[in-house]
Amino acid sequence: MSEVLGEKANKTEEGEPFFPNHMLDQTMMVFVMLAILVTLVMFFPAPMEPPADPFVTPEHIKPEWYFLSAYQALKVAEHFSFLGAWAPKVLGILVQAGGLFLLVLLPFLDKNPERHPRKRPFMIAMGILALIALAALTIWGKLS
Amino acid sequence: MNEHEKGKALKEQQPSFEQRSGLRELFELFSLTGFVYGPLDERLNIKEALEKNLKKAVPHHVNWLFCFGGLSLFLFTVQAVTGIMLLMYYRPTIAEAYKSVVYVTNNVPFGWLVRGLHHWAANLMIVMVFLHMARVFFYGAYKPPRDFNWVTGVILLMLTLGFGFTGYLLPWNQISYWATTVGTEAPGAVPVVGGLLTTLIRGGAEVSQTTLTRFFAVHVVILPLVISFFLMGHFFMIRKQGISGPL
Repeated sequence: MSEVLGEKANKTEEGEPFFPNHMLDQTMMVFVMLAILVTLVMFFPAPMEPPADPFVTPEHIKPEWYFLSAYQALKVAEHFSFLGAWAPKVLGILVQAGGLFLLVLLPFLDKNPERHPRKRPFMIAMGILALIALAALTIWGKLS
Repeated sequence: MNEHEKGKALKEQQPSFEQRSGLRELFELFSLTGFVYGPLDERLNIKEALEKNLKKAVPHHVNWLFCFGGLSLFLFTVQAVTGIMLLMYYRPTIAEAYKSVVYVTNNVPFGWLVRGLHHWAANLMIVMVFLHMARVFFYGAYKPPRDFNWVTGVILLMLTLGFGFTGYLLPWNQISYWATTVGTEAPGAVPVVGGLLTTLIRGGAEVSQTTLTRFFAVHVVILPLVISFFLMGHFFMIRKQGISGPL
């Protein structure tokens, strides 16, 4: 960027100056995002569902896509009913709450000082497993 | 002569505080040059602060994967602006909520656009916040000294999901009513206090007017205040500690 404008002196050893070099990159990203946003708004208008009726339960009640994995996890927990009548609901909610708790505490549980992905295979494997589980539950929730 | 000396020489040519007429100062304030060259800059050194911040170096290893946090902030701004615009027409009662959403969409000029932007920016914001978190995870950028910033980040993710959950009920349509009924049942499974939690969230035994009022208050007042607080902490820490180094 800076070479194009012939401003090599502007370039410090630490990196590119925030303004205008980095700001231009960021502005371009914002415009790409804006283009995606406006395209979605134009071609897929916000849905207009029928008004709420507390006396008529729809056949398939599903949450928004970002809650589908949590919803499906609660349904999967129903398979643990052999442990007792209490098990499905309590396990379903506590496992998810525990997962969130672990996520908050991640930097304090992962004591490995290495940052490169190749030098911390365990955490990277855990992360990829979590992503696969999240994606699988979401797709399963969507299809079921 | 470097930039600083040039600025100094320029400043000396300008009339001092005493020589200035109030009119000129007023003009400088209205034309906004007062902030960078005029009376406000003389008192607050805005130009110096601006130069220092704008020239701050961004490390070379920063690539396009580092843009998701900034894009989340951009989408948050879109949400704040379109949300305030929708607030001008939305009526949070079970008799009027749905009608007011229909009115915004069909009768208010560009109402369909503002509502569409709010709907889609909400979905995209969840995606961007999630991608931002994934990038930080795989780059190991959550390690000390940035460990506390990870904690504020996860709280920001939960607050974003809270916005999604409370905002979903506001149009008071079939899917939002029943999804909220099912969604608020989930905390009921917590041992001992579960039933109390569900009643607290719903403001009664069922999803009703109280629930709508409650979700509306949380969506437009409580969550924006809380998220602003955590956003400031998040940005202050990244500013203070800098972007994580190369791998």
